[in-house]
Amino acid sequence: MRFKVIAAAAISVATLMSVAACGGSNTASDGKVELEFWHNATTGDGKAYWENLAAAFEKKHQNVTIKIQAIQNEDYQGKLQTALQDPNSAPDVYMSLGGQKTKDMIEAGQTIDITSDISADAKKNMASTLGAATFDDKVYGMPVSMEPGGIWYSEDLFKKAGITEPPKTMEELNQAVTKLKAANITPVALGGKDAWPAAHWYYWLSFRECSAKDFSEASSGKGLKADCWNKAADQLEAFNKTNPFNNGYLTTSAQQGAGSSAGLLANHKAAMELMGAWEPGVLKDLSPDGKAMSDLGYFPFPSVDGGQGDPNALMGSVTYYSVSPSAPKKEAMEFLNYMAETKNQEGYAKAWNTFPANDAARGVVTDPALKTVLEYVKKSPDMQLWLDTQLGSNAGTALNTSVVNMLAGKGAAKDIVTAANDAIAKG
Amino acid sequence: MSSAVSYGRKDKNGYRKSPKNPWGNPVVYFISLLLIAICIGPVVYIILGGFRSNAQITNDPAGMPNPWLNKNYLAVLSSNTFWVELVNSVIVGLLTTIGVVVLSLMVSFVIARYDFKYSKVMYSLFAAGLMFPMTVAITPLYLLLRNLGLANTLAGVILPQIAFGLPQTIIILVPFLKTIPQELEEAAALDGCSRLGFFVRMVIPLSMPGVATTGILQFIGSWNSYMLPLFMLSDPSKYTLPLGVQMFSSQHSVDTASVLAFTSMSMIPALIFFTIFQKRIVGGLTGAVKG
Amino acid sequence: MNASKETGARMKKKSKTVVKDKWRKGLEISVLSVPALIMFLGFVVFPIVMAAYYGFFKWKGFGSPTTNGTFIGIQNYITIFSDAEFRSAVLHNFIIVIGSLVLQAPIAILFALLLNQKMKGRAIIRTLIFVPYVVSEVIVGTGWSLMLQSEGAINAVLKRIGLQGADWISDPKIAMWTLLILITWKYIGFAVILMLAGMQSIPEELYEAARVDGAGFWQLQKSITLPLLGPTLRIWAFLSIIGSLQLFDLVYIIWGQYISSTAGTSTMATYMVREGRVSSNYGYGSAVAVVIFVISLVVALTYQKFILNRDLDGALTEKPSKSKNKSVSAVAEEV
Repeated sequence: MRFKVIAAAAISVATLMSVAACGGSNTASDGKVELEFWHNATTGDGKAYWENLAAAFEKKHQNVTIKIQAIQNEDYQGKLQTALQDPNSAPDVYMSLGGQKTKDMIEAGQTIDITSDISADAKKNMASTLGAATFDDKVYGMPVSMEPGGIWYSEDLFKKAGITEPPKTMEELNQAVTKLKAANITPVALGGKDAWPAAHWYYWLSFRECSAKDFSEASSGKGLKADCWNKAADQLEAFNKTNPFNNGYLTTSAQQGAGSSAGLLANHKAAMELMGAWEPGVLKDLSPDGKAMSDLGYFPFPSVDGGQGDPNALMGSVTYYSVSPSAPKKEAMEFLNYMAETKNQEGYAKAWNTFPANDAARGVVTDPALKTVLEYVKKSPDMQLWLDTQLGSNAGTALNTSVVNMLAGKGAAKDIVTAANDAIAKG
Repeated sequence: MSSAVSYGRKDKNGYRKSPKNPWGNPVVYFISLLLIAICIGPVVYIILGGFRSNAQITNDPAGMPNPWLNKNYLAVLSSNTFWVELVNSVIVGLLTTIGVVVLSLMVSFVIARYDFKYSKVMYSLFAAGLMFPMTVAITPLYLLLRNLGLANTLAGVILPQIAFGLPQTIIILVPFLKTIPQELEEAAALDGCSRLGFFVRMVIPLSMPGVATTGILQFIGSWNSYMLPLFMLSDPSKYTLPLGVQMFSSQHSVDTASVLAFTSMSMIPALIFFTIFQKRIVGGLTGAVKG
Repeated sequence: MNASKETGARMKKKSKTVVKDKWRKGLEISVLSVPALIMFLGFVVFPIVMAAYYGFFKWKGFGSPTTNGTFIGIQNYITIFSDAEFRSAVLHNFIIVIGSLVLQAPIAILFALLLNQKMKGRAIIRTLIFVPYVVSEVIVGTGWSLMLQSEGAINAVLKRIGLQGADWISDPKIAMWTLLILITWKYIGFAVILMLAGMQSIPEELYEAARVDGAGFWQLQKSITLPLLGPTLRIWAFLSIIGSLQLFDLVYIIWGQYISSTAGTSTMATYMVREGRVSSNYGYGSAVAVVIFVISLVVALTYQKFILNRDLDGALTEKPSKSKNKSVSAVAEEV
């Protein structure tokens, strides 16, 4: 096996293979337009919602056909990223990745500024969420939902363990864990296989521990410099020492099946889980009878002693949809504005059992736990984006894995910050 | 030649068979049964699981179906998804196999039977392909296929699979073709057969055992291939069965029994195919490993 | 005079056919090999070369490496080798290489010996033993993870017979063993079939001669089967080593995108996907791909040089007639 020969052959082929790209245009001469639309709802009501919405839109705009592709959430990022490489075959309207990834896409010219094309209604109704899709004062996406995080719990199991008030501080949370264990109930469900659910514990602790200034410093690419980041890791290590998580949490997935962490909560096999506001919808799908969990409660992440973060502040995400530069802009924007209409946003909230991005549509939220969240949303300053989304996938992945490592006893608390800073340097 | 010797000739590798017991050693059977249990146990578990209900699985993960339910399997069989994915898998599997076998046979013939300067280089080049898993080249491969307009098509899976299947097949076929005696070729030449004529009339029929082996291995490889379809195909109507299994198990994540039923159905065609052709595998490999 | 004229004409004619033959040979070679070469160069070599090229960039996978990435030379390679996670992935790969060889070789030989006996139902057994190999990694992964969960079937069975179960997948002390056993289970069929094929090509006369001298069953295997199985074993080992170095699907499906390194089962390929695609460091991921290739190549070449070349010359080409004859006669003498 002579490497030289291989290399020489390869180079000659490489020159040969610089094939001309052949792409198709979306707009045909007869005014018919096809919109390729990518989202990540592959099941149930969410999938049906998009199908119905697209059909209704096509009815109103006879010249437009919408080609839907629903892609499994865990594959979504990889597929979208590769598809956007080639503008000719990229999707026209797609669910954006958010945070640092959207910034990278703006830089690569893969998503367009839609500031001046958003309808007046949408601008007014989305006031609280448009900020998440705004970079340098330009809007790059139409929000559809808002998912603040917090701890979701079974009121029945809490009662059984003799916990009367949802914990407000880490100390109270520790007491709750002790009581639940005494009552032979698994205190916390954790989907460690997907890593991010475990990392959310760290994100929240650092969110309570660090000041807003520390967070914005980290987001600007300077790394995790302040001392509070290490303090949060120590806090998590101490919490983990009390063995609060379900058995085998390392191979428990977050949302797949009755054995997943959400499944454990839905089936009352664990008392609580730290998650985003998509949780009620997920629990509904995983409950034995397919109905919403009747005793579901919510409390925001507890405060920590001496923390510099605002104890009322919430962290979460805003899901929004963006347009690629090769899309027929007029039709794509009509579709986005249609999504944002209050009536459709109400449908969205029902289908997903979550918060619509449109303020005017929030009246349809009936789930008691979600209504509790709404109370806290009103108290909270601007919602902080999940730390991993904010930092981009390389630092995010490093954080996620190092947190799991620490929980499993394979790394020290200080390794978390080191790993994140190394990754920021690597990317 | 005594009858004892000719009798001994039949049983292989020195196992002394007692003529009184035509069944052979009971220990052999016991070990064989144990071996089979280990090999097919998990597969049987999956198939049986499809006959159970979710409650049965949750309450007793290791139990037998009680009662036996066939609704999971009926649901799979009556779903369009399964059949579409089955057809896709068959198309991809057959075309990949044919492509790999035809191209490899041609190039292996050149490497094995032609005396020319670059024969060794060519062989090394293909052999080096073994060192490179498809995972590694997936992003550039995807971009290339997109540029060729083949992303999200079955051809976009078939063509790279053919290319990545070549090294293994060539490595098995070249020694195989070398074992065809030189005299045959000379005889063919005397009869006025050209080299190509020799290839078509003699080499192809003679290499059938090797072709069968590599063909089966390629077909199974394609049937099970996961990474490439995962990255190439985004339209569910083009999914192959492994992707289908993945998608089905995430869509019906609560419904373990249905997932098991779907999973069983997706492996059964490959098992049947293999059962039919398994005899040929050993034959083809004999030639290859002898070399 | 006449004669010499004749010879000249004949020579002329002959050289003409030689030229024509040569031309014809070249044409045949091209017709037969060009299609495969094009496919191979286009879909294997070209993407690999591109991966090597991307490996010199710091590139997030948005846009193209030249406009949206930064050329950083060999910086990615420096990072790879200084990353402890990568080094432990390499270590895991080598544990898998050794583990697969040590576990599978004896088992496969024993099973092949067993299946080479004359017995009823041999064909069925041979088919069944191949079942795990035929079933896809996705199915194997899905099925085994269900059974190995802490609340799964295996632990339920163990509990029933009074034994304490374990966290087969997530306990870092056990996970690698679980993986090795799964690999053995999945790929033993292939090894057995290869060994069977090798055993069937051993001439029966050798056994007869030895039996005449009164050698017992195990003695026969030790002095004839094992030495003559050498070439088969070495080829199988070669394929097994390459497979182990590139192990991906099984780990990825059972342990997911993140936790394989925590559980101690990460491989170079899962590291590549996690640090490349999942973290969207496409440049870095490509550099890892190149490193995997080089490591596989070095291992393969070393193996070939020191072990495989006893059987196969160069790139697995020529027949080992010499060494084989030698070993046969040596064995015959010994017996």
